[in-house]
Amino acid sequence: MTGIAQPLPFSVGDHVTVLSLGKQGHIRTPDYVLEKSGVVIQFCGYFLNPEDLSVGKTSGPMVQLYRVQFLMSHLWHNTQHRPNDLLCIEIYGHWLALTKETAA
Amino acid sequence: MSGYHDIGGHAAGLIPKTELPFQHWEKQSEAIRNLLGDGARRVISLDEIRLGFESFGIEKYQAYSFYRRRLEAMIDILEKKGLITRHEFEQELLGIQARWPRVVPQD
Repeated sequence: MTGIAQPLPFSVGDHVTVLSLGKQGHIRTPDYVLEKSGVVIQFCGYFLNPEDLSVGKTSGPMVQLYRVQFLMSHLWHNTQHRPNDLLCIEIYGHWLALTKETAA
Repeated sequence: MSGYHDIGGHAAGLIPKTELPFQHWEKQSEAIRNLLGDGARRVISLDEIRLGFESFGIEKYQAYSFYRRRLEAMIDILEKKGLITRHEFEQELLGIQARWPRVVPQD
């Protein structure tokens, strides 16, 4: 249960970017969010890592799961989306990093 | 590179909106999957099954329905873990079909 007593690395409202970890095997992070930036809207709790479960490892450690919101127009560049259409998706914490400030 | 199953957002034409019936064998195989994966047994997790059908080849993946993919991956894993063989599964299936001729996989 590593990490449960420690403060969470991400808070609601944080801007985060999904890491492109290049992992082989079963992952729950879809290609279309990799390297995209969104906003944390909820901490969902601790769960067994599906990457471990997929190879029969059921003993942990537990990992954090967050719900992250993206502008659909940021994920898919077509004109089908209204400007404020959103996609909310659950992403495990080890796939996230705080978005670096960029010169606008 | 993403796997053949990871196609969210790709162009795919119109979404078929016909509701397919939830067939009896699908309910049975999902029930067995749930029992095999529950907290007391942990014989096979849903993520193991997902890894199974995400790696058993695009031809099989595209040929099979949602529940058939799960069933085929489950049999593969049960065989890999030495719990049953596919031959035993098929023999059992023939026995059930003989007792109850309506129970025939349909897809």
